[in-house]
Amino acid sequence: MLLHLLVLAPFVAAILMVATSKEDSKSSSRLAFLFGVTFFALSIALVAGGNQATEAIEWFRIPGCKGPVFYYLYSHGLGAWLVFLSCGLSLVALVTARNTFHKNYRNFAIGIFSLMGAMNGTFLSADAVLFFFFFEAMVIPAAVMIAGFGGKEKTKAAMTFAIYTLVGSAPMMVALWYLLTVADNSLLLSLAIALQSLPASTQFLILLSFLLAFLVKTPIFPFHGWQAITYAEAPAPLSAILTGAMSKAGVFGFIAWILPIFPLSMTTVNVMLWLGLVTAVYGGLMALRANDSKKLLAFSSMSHLGLAVAGVFSLSEAMLPAVLVLLIAHGISAGAQFFLMGIAERMTGTRDINLMGGLASRNPVFSTLFGFAAIMALAIPGTAGFVGEFTVLLSIWDMGPLPAVVAGFCLILSAAYMLRFVQKVIFGKAAREYEDGTRMTALEGSSIGVMVVLLLAFGFHPSCITTSLHLFDEDAIEEMSKLSGHDMNEAVTADSSNVEGIEADASSVESTEGSEASENASEEVRPMKEDELRQLDSTLAAAGFDEKERASIIQQMNATDAEQANAEATENE
Amino acid sequence: MMNLPLWLIPLLPLVGTILLGAIAVISSGSKKGPSEGMVGFLAVLFPALAFVAVLLLAMGMPVDGIRGTLCNWIDIPLFKADFGFLFDGLSRIMLLFVTGIGALITLYSIGYMHGDRGFARFFAYINLFLFSMIVLVLGDSLLLTFLGWEGVGLCSYLLIGFWNKDVNNCKAANKAFIVNRVGDIGFLLGMLCLVTVGGAGILNYDALNAFIQMILTGGHVEIVLPILSLAGLLFFIGCTGKSAQIPLLTWLPDAMAGPTPVSALIHAATMVTAGVYLLARLGNMFALLPVVLFIITLIGLLTAFWAAMAGLFQNDIKKVLAYSTISQLGYMFMAAGVCAFDASIFHVFTHAFFKAALFLGAGAVIHALAGEQDMRKMGGMLKKTPVTACVMLFAFFAIIGFPGFAGFWSKDLILERLFMSGPLGPAFYVVGLLTAVITAVYMGRLIILTFFGSYRGSKESEEHIHEAPACMLIPMVILAIGAIFAGYFWADSLGITVFSDSLAPVVGAAQASVVHAGAHVNPLIFAGLGTLAALLGMFIALKVYGSARIPEAKGSSAPQGFKASWTFFFDSLHKYCGIIPVSVLAWICDVVVDKILQAIQWTVGAIATILGDGVSTFQVRKVRLQLAFSVACVAILVAVVLLTGGTF
Repeated sequence: MLLHLLVLAPFVAAILMVATSKEDSKSSSRLAFLFGVTFFALSIALVAGGNQATEAIEWFRIPGCKGPVFYYLYSHGLGAWLVFLSCGLSLVALVTARNTFHKNYRNFAIGIFSLMGAMNGTFLSADAVLFFFFFEAMVIPAAVMIAGFGGKEKTKAAMTFAIYTLVGSAPMMVALWYLLTVADNSLLLSLAIALQSLPASTQFLILLSFLLAFLVKTPIFPFHGWQAITYAEAPAPLSAILTGAMSKAGVFGFIAWILPIFPLSMTTVNVMLWLGLVTAVYGGLMALRANDSKKLLAFSSMSHLGLAVAGVFSLSEAMLPAVLVLLIAHGISAGAQFFLMGIAERMTGTRDINLMGGLASRNPVFSTLFGFAAIMALAIPGTAGFVGEFTVLLSIWDMGPLPAVVAGFCLILSAAYMLRFVQKVIFGKAAREYEDGTRMTALEGSSIGVMVVLLLAFGFHPSCITTSLHLFDEDAIEEMSKLSGHDMNEAVTADSSNVEGIEADASSVESTEGSEASENASEEVRPMKEDELRQLDSTLAAAGFDEKERASIIQQMNATDAEQANAEATENE
Repeated sequence: MMNLPLWLIPLLPLVGTILLGAIAVISSGSKKGPSEGMVGFLAVLFPALAFVAVLLLAMGMPVDGIRGTLCNWIDIPLFKADFGFLFDGLSRIMLLFVTGIGALITLYSIGYMHGDRGFARFFAYINLFLFSMIVLVLGDSLLLTFLGWEGVGLCSYLLIGFWNKDVNNCKAANKAFIVNRVGDIGFLLGMLCLVTVGGAGILNYDALNAFIQMILTGGHVEIVLPILSLAGLLFFIGCTGKSAQIPLLTWLPDAMAGPTPVSALIHAATMVTAGVYLLARLGNMFALLPVVLFIITLIGLLTAFWAAMAGLFQNDIKKVLAYSTISQLGYMFMAAGVCAFDASIFHVFTHAFFKAALFLGAGAVIHALAGEQDMRKMGGMLKKTPVTACVMLFAFFAIIGFPGFAGFWSKDLILERLFMSGPLGPAFYVVGLLTAVITAVYMGRLIILTFFGSYRGSKESEEHIHEAPACMLIPMVILAIGAIFAGYFWADSLGITVFSDSLAPVVGAAQASVVHAGAHVNPLIFAGLGTLAALLGMFIALKVYGSARIPEAKGSSAPQGFKASWTFFFDSLHKYCGIIPVSVLAWICDVVVDKILQAIQWTVGAIATILGDGVSTFQVRKVRLQLAFSVACVAILVAVVLLTGGTF
């Protein structure tokens, strides 16, 4: 019920918001605030409630695919915490936007709620198609809001954002559809199993198209073209949500979909690790030179997320809690910084850090918060950022000292650009004369203050995050395999090798991959021959599968081959 | 009194921070600001209470210390850390002077910061600093020490940039933080290194010592030596950052931009000695690493000598003291480098008193002269501010190692240990002694320029010169007393070894493991040579600066010519090896790589647009063409369906 509420109710809320007045923001802001608080409370309940799942409801069937698409939500620690981020940041965004958009607040709230629903859906879907649906759906409200409420170059920013991210995930759509023609249904487990039956080159192609979608969304180094302009032109509350919650969808995709489904070769892992590190350094260097405050924050986010991705692909045992803490810490601190920057922009009327300055004496309370948030972003020990970055560094150290040294260099860079930023914005004397805009209200201040305090609390007691992580527990696997009609044993073994022990994943998967590849190499184009099938049968028997299972697997293989031939024929067209 | 929990000590200044921070934020809107009396009372209360708590605990401490674990901190696969505290001989001494001197300097600050707009904010930072420093020395694991380590760095940043209206102060603060960050990354990587060798629990000091013991008894030293050496080197990089040693020392002179009590507390007495503390804390590990120890000695020696020379060239009274601090820290590192950890901590202890007294005295002089820091505009202050002058004089005798004063005992001990440290010992000793002479020269110069001769400032300013108020003088006098008598906790020649006895359970094993070869020399010879060095230095200072005409003060107080190139040698080194490469890299990213990516993006976009334009020409009202297209497409679709086997 909770899951349904979190995913569907935001859309209902968005529709209900239509009923309020567009001109007078009073009633709409109150309604929005009430909804926001409710969703935030629900997300806390979700985090506290542990793993849970809804009934899998058959949603629709894609022509050409074997199984149905389910409306099936599943909450594990990772998703629940990211939902917490999305609801929390949306609430603060609704609060701060109240003083920024006097007119049209209603439409902004509608956008925020639909975005929130889409994000929650992304983080809670257990079905790949559902996930992809929400993953794409996120872009639309965000782009509309950028176009409606953005800065000077809002149209360009909205277009860049929408086209870049949609095009980035287009290959994933094709790959997913292709995979679905092979798999029993669109749940994780059957996708993973189906993938094993494909030839290695196809597997790699599918992997690439999945990776691309997430690389663009995060964004990782060569695919970050949309990010700076989008975050800069979007209204600050929206930027906070984009960086704090939406960009996490990319990292979430790596953890929740790429790692369990795909057998990753060491080369891929290394490439991804270094892409993450290069992003981290690149973001830091760009932030050093940025003069647009929101671009600076955008690059800083990019740097942190690069580190997170590098952490994910360190594949160490400590990776999952480490990356989650880093994501939450970054989500809250970057969110807070964007909110504060929005208020600073409102007060000073500019985004250029060379035209700011002197806020410390002009508006001490604001500056205290601002400085505080910046310190949180610096990952000083005792803040959540430190726990995240230290543990991620620990995971990266597993991959060798050099990556860890590069990651350490990023921490130095982060100090350099963040302190420059703080100095330019709040210290010194004001660079020019200006009329003060609307100041920070008590509600804004206290809500951002709560975020900062949360960071401290997580910094001293991160175990409330790290202990809530059971990515896929037994019940969920059972449920999934029931839906897939697979044998339990096989399901559990496949899953545990893929999901639970990611460490094991790297090694065991390579061996699986090796054997699969040799098996698959011959059947790339032509269907499996009889003797090969017999051979497979004997290997399966040796592996301890009984009569019925073997028969079903072979049948499946045959079906797969047929499907594949079809698919290839279509693709060739 | 044994049941006093250890976490109470850091908690007290933390409560102070929260209270004062709240007062500062709430009152920031009002015109008048909070009552200084109340804020001052709160500010001194918590450090003083912490001092009392430390005192009570120190009295009843068992020989192997008190341990207490508060709760779990990080708990993930591969890594666990607790909030645990360790109160033993080493942390006892550190805590006693950190909280004691901290409380005294806070009291002094009430007078110094009188009337400042950020009064409450200042004391909130000071309390936060004391909290971090206490955590640094009281933590029972490297990770908790690191919490304090970065925490004091943060407070140092906040306090250097305290007067943030002047951008130069902010820049000095940024520099301090960033340079320290470089060192901190060394510390961080060092921890990771250790985790690879010894697993998750090894960051705990007890576990680390047990691990060292284990590999010693098992004879596995050879196997882990490379990675332990790497870890040791990385930790030492951390120390060079925090304790301002070559090459990461450039931030400390700039840090003098902060209020003077801050310089006294953070940049002289406590924070900068954290590196020495860490070396002593990890003594058992470092004792195994001869290469690293040699590097430490060498760096300490070079730093001590270089900074002493730089101290000679400064005109700003606080800069002289800053370089002097660096130089003295060099002595401590030299001692640590020859495994004389107790001697290095002893010097930390005595140095805290006399350097704090010197800084507070300098602060009183600056206060009296309404902010003037250039020594060329001072002179003759002996008559105008006699108490300050006396305090400074006593501290001066202590720092140059005049017999009987605190510095005499500790510096003498360090030089003696240096001499005995092996084949290179005598060479180290000679440089150390030479540095002692230079120390006496530049300190003599400072005293002569400030307190003797006639006043060289303007006439109007002369009338306003006044002695500092009582709340500033009391801490100064107490510290001066410390500067005289602190050395008597360990006076070998008088047979007093209280200090080394209390440290022995912690560092004794490490020191015993390094056997010093070398002839036994009568300690009196060292004492005699040390005294001679001090006297010689004083004599030179008197000859050179006593009667000479002081050049007119023109422009800034920064040194000129070759003096500048000596002083700023490491600044330029940083510039050419650190800042410029990074800027160039950033420039390449921004101007080259990013533009190329944008160009690619634009090209793809343009091609799409062109294609779109091309396709749109079909969008015309030519029914036949449209129809033909439709038919063709339907045919293709049918073909596809048939070819794929008609599964649709």
